Amino acid sequence: MTRAIGAGDDITLTELWADPYPAYAKLRQDEPVAWVPAVNRYLVTKHRDIVALERRPEIFSADETGSLMKRVMGHTMLRKDGPAHDRERTGAEAPMRPRPVRDHWTPLFQKTADDLIDGFAERGEADLFRDFAGPFAALNLAMMLGFDDVAAADLQEWSQALMDGTGNYGDVEAVWRRAEAAGAGVDQAVLRAVERLGAQPRPSLISAMLHAGDPLSVDEIRANVKMFIGGGLNEPRDSLATGLYALLCHPDQAQACIDDPALWRRAFEETIRWVAPIGMYPRQTTQEVELGGTVLPARAKLGIVLASAGRDEDVFDHPDDFDLRRKATHHISFGGGPHYCLGSFAARAEVSQVAWPTLFRRLRNLRLDPDNPVRWGGWVFRGVLNLPVRWDP
Amino acid sequence: MPNVNFRHRDGSIDVVDAPLGSSLMSAAIKHPVDGIIAECGGNAMCATCHVYVDAAFGDRLPPMAEEEDEMLDGTASARTERSRLSCQIVVTEEMAGMTVDVPADQV
Ligand code: HEM
Ligand code: FES
Repeated sequence: MTRAIGAGDDITLTELWADPYPAYAKLRQDEPVAWVPAVNRYLVTKHRDIVALERRPEIFSADETGSLMKRVMGHTMLRKDGPAHDRERTGAEAPMRPRPVRDHWTPLFQKTADDLIDGFAERGEADLFRDFAGPFAALNLAMMLGFDDVAAADLQEWSQALMDGTGNYGDVEAVWRRAEAAGAGVDQAVLRAVERLGAQPRPSLISAMLHAGDPLSVDEIRANVKMFIGGGLNEPRDSLATGLYALLCHPDQAQACIDDPALWRRAFEETIRWVAPIGMYPRQTTQEVELGGTVLPARAKLGIVLASAGRDEDVFDHPDDFDLRRKATHHISFGGGPHYCLGSFAARAEVSQVAWPTLFRRLRNLRLDPDNPVRWGGWVFRGVLNLPVRWDP
Repeated sequence: MPNVNFRHRDGSIDVVDAPLGSSLMSAAIKHPVDGIIAECGGNAMCATCHVYVDAAFGDRLPPMAEEEDEMLDGTASARTERSRLSCQIVVTEEMAGMTVDVPADQV
């Protein structure tokens, strides 16, 4: 039955990269769990089906066969199920809980923000994607990991190289080599951190994994740190830049946040609903199962389309609009179930408690640069690709 | 099976049959109770199963572990003395007739 309708047959990768939302709207309408040949997966596009499948991790497994992520990073917690996953996850969790995020990390995020802004405040213009969001996310991630000696530029290069590797379905040799070089760089940095932190535990991720009740081995730490670097940098960067763009397009909403700082968090949740930084992630069925009207065979590869869930008209009124005053909503852009984002509270603090309020406070009359339009791209990861702005220096 | 009342902000109440030994969160999800989201599936990782428990029942609940205490600092609606994560509360007979308030926001 599924194949007869074939709502996904015409979808192309080019179209998804440029603007995936029209294709998702059509899939939600016509065939919410559809085989899409261009991505070689079934795409799951309805909010309710995604919530339902994340409640059944034993059927919808994260341990995908032939995963390029495993090839590039090793077997990380993100691609494990059940107790094997929980052991590594538990080891990493403590420093990312809301309390240490507020008491320990937030003052450090604030320093990162102020130092970066000091570097360009007098210029009166900047590309806040390149000059702020990228380095801000990288420097904060280096701190959270427990890297004292890694430059933001290296971390950004490793992140990009590892991500390109996990998406190298075209088997391009140069991409593998660049990812391997990045992996080697991470391995050495982890070794140095482990030597340092072995003697002196600190509230960092590497330290937590090393000193956990059931400690992770150095190899396990290395794989997970690659996943943190590949996956913990883009999303805060992209949500920071994308949400800032939305706030600059809607000055009344920005002003509402400035007047009532409790609203910054709502602006953040609305940003990641509107454009989910992780637009799609993989799962694989362990048995035949029905989902959203489609019968999936065992070992079917799925793409869980969070980007589409955030625009689901059954859940959100006028879903394509950015509106932080919408009535309380339930986005699922941090995923669900056992793999629910480990960095969700850190990301909220970085972006909505530190970056946005500080930028609006320090850069007077902050506005979009009318001569340089913003560009968009991506579907697995999506956000603005630049953010040219001006202010009164 | 004890009944637990989930009271919404508009005063309406969902009376939930809560199976002994299950978590209060899973009983609410099964019902389902609007406003109990439980994104992480009960792993004390998301704080989207937040409830305010009737003070009279406070001492009939299991004590709060450190993780739960630290997670409650991240709730979307303000934490109070009555705040708990419903996924960390295992239902017992003593909870029959207990009322919990559902917060305005979970995300
Ligand atoms: C706006 C920012 C962010 C968004 C939208 C986001 C989104 C997500 C999503 C959707 C998942 C689930 C993926 C899956 O199940 O396949 C996830 C997992 C994860 N995230 Fe985030 N993330 C963000 C920021 C961060 C940050 C800053 C960190 C690191 C400090 C981080 C670390 C992780 C880790 C380690 C996992 C895997 C957890 C596990 O497998 O148990 N994330 N994130
Ligand atoms: S369900 Fe996530 S913390 Fe309770």
